[in-house]
Amino acid sequence: MPALHDMGGNTEFFGPIVPEPNEPVFHSRWEGRVFGISGFLLALFGQNIDAFRYEMEQLPRDDYLSNYYRRWLAAFEAKLVRAGYLGPQEIDARVQGGRVELGTRRVSRLRLAVTARVQRLLLRPTLPPRVCKHVLPRVIGTARPALRSRRFSVGDRIRVRSRRDSGHTRQPGYVSGKAGLVTAHHGATLFPDAHAIGRRARPQHLYTVAFDGEELWGADAEEGTEVRVDLFEAYLEPG
Amino acid sequence: MSHEVDENAVRVEAVESLLVEKGIVDASLVDEVIEHYETSVGPLNGAKVVARAWTDPAYRERLLAEATGAVAEFGFGGPEGQLIVAVENAPEVHNVVVCTLCSCYPWPVLGLPPSWYKSPEYRSRMVAQPRTVLEEMGLELGADVRIRVWDSSAEARYLVLPERPPDTGHLDAEALAKLVTRDSMIGVGLALSADAAEDD
Repeated sequence: MPALHDMGGNTEFFGPIVPEPNEPVFHSRWEGRVFGISGFLLALFGQNIDAFRYEMEQLPRDDYLSNYYRRWLAAFEAKLVRAGYLGPQEIDARVQGGRVELGTRRVSRLRLAVTARVQRLLLRPTLPPRVCKHVLPRVIGTARPALRSRRFSVGDRIRVRSRRDSGHTRQPGYVSGKAGLVTAHHGATLFPDAHAIGRRARPQHLYTVAFDGEELWGADAEEGTEVRVDLFEAYLEPG
Repeated sequence: MSHEVDENAVRVEAVESLLVEKGIVDASLVDEVIEHYETSVGPLNGAKVVARAWTDPAYRERLLAEATGAVAEFGFGGPEGQLIVAVENAPEVHNVVVCTLCSCYPWPVLGLPPSWYKSPEYRSRMVAQPRTVLEEMGLELGADVRIRVWDSSAEARYLVLPERPPDTGHLDAEALAKLVTRDSMIGVGLALSADAAEDD
C-alpha cells in the first residue's frame, strides 16, 4: 500500500483543483500562529526538516489530510511530548481544565534570546546579497562536501531501484523501478532517509532525473509530457 | 466548519501559551514572523526577478546558470531558498512545478504556497495528467508543446521563468513586473498580456 503522503499518481486523490481567488496568506489567525511558532520549534529540534516531515508522515490519516497547518501542529505536538517539554495530556488539560502530569523540560532564557535574535535578523524585506548567496544556503540548506566521487554523470541512463524504504524517504513511489536520464547533478547533501531518524550517513550525491510520461504511466500517459525529479544516488542503479 | 475552526484556534492558543511559559517561544516574534510573510515575502519578489531577466540578457544567463545567486542580487533569500533553480519556458517547452511528497515551494521569491498547491488533488495529478490539469486551470497548450513537470523532491526549489508576452518591447522592468503572476512562475499560467500593465 502506498504511503499516504506519497501522492504522485495516486488516483485515490484525483479530483478537481480549486484555486481560491484572492487567497490570504493565512486563512485564520491560528494558522499564522502555528507558522510563527514553527521557527522556534525547528530550532529547538536542531533544524531537522527531514525529521519534521517524517513526523507528519506518521500522523493518522485524518490528521494528515485535515489542514496544512493542523498537520504541522500535530507533528510538533508529538515531538514536544516525546522530548519531555509537554506532558501527554498537557495541551488537552490547558484546553479543558483538569490536573495532569506536566512536561518538565524548559529552555534557558539565553537560548530563547539567541533563537529569537537569529530569526529577527532574517525578517527584513531584503538582506545583503552576500548573506543570501553564501551564508543562508549553508545555514538552512543541507549541502555537504561529498566524501566520495559521484557514480553518475549528466546524460547517463539510470533506473530507480524498485525497493522503496518504509521509513522516511524522498524516493517517490511513482518513479520506483522506472528508467530515466540524468539531466543535472547538484553536488551532495545530507541523506534525508538517514537524517530524519538521526542516523549518521555519508552525504549523498543528488541528481535531477528526467522520466518520459510513457515510462511512468504507460498507455495512460499524456503525449509529450515528462517529469523531472531530484533523486539521491542511493536510489539509483545504472540503467 | 466554524466549530472546527474554533477548536483549532483554542488548541493553538493553548499550545502557544504553554510554549511561552516554558521559554520555548517568544510571542512578540511570532507576530513579526506573521507580518513578514503577509507583507514582505510574496510573488512580487519573483516578478522583479523575472522582469529583470526579460530586460537584461546577462542577468537572464546568471539566473539560468545559478538562480540562488541571481535571486540574491535583489536581497532575496532565506528559508526554502537554499538552492533555487530557474527553468525557462520556450515556444516548444512549458515548465510547471509540483511537490508530490509534501509542499516544497520557493518561499523567498513566491511567498508561502496557495492552498491548491498543497492539495492532494494537485500533488497527485500534476505528475500524471499535466496537460489536463493545466487545461482545467485555464492554460491550454498546443499538442506540440512539451510539458516538463518538476517534482521538487529534495534540495532544489524551482522557479519558472515564463515567456515575455508579445508587444511589450516598450515596457521597462517595473512595468513588466506587473505582468508576472504567481501562477506564471509556478507554471500553471502565463504572464499577462501587455494591456494589463496599461490598465494599471
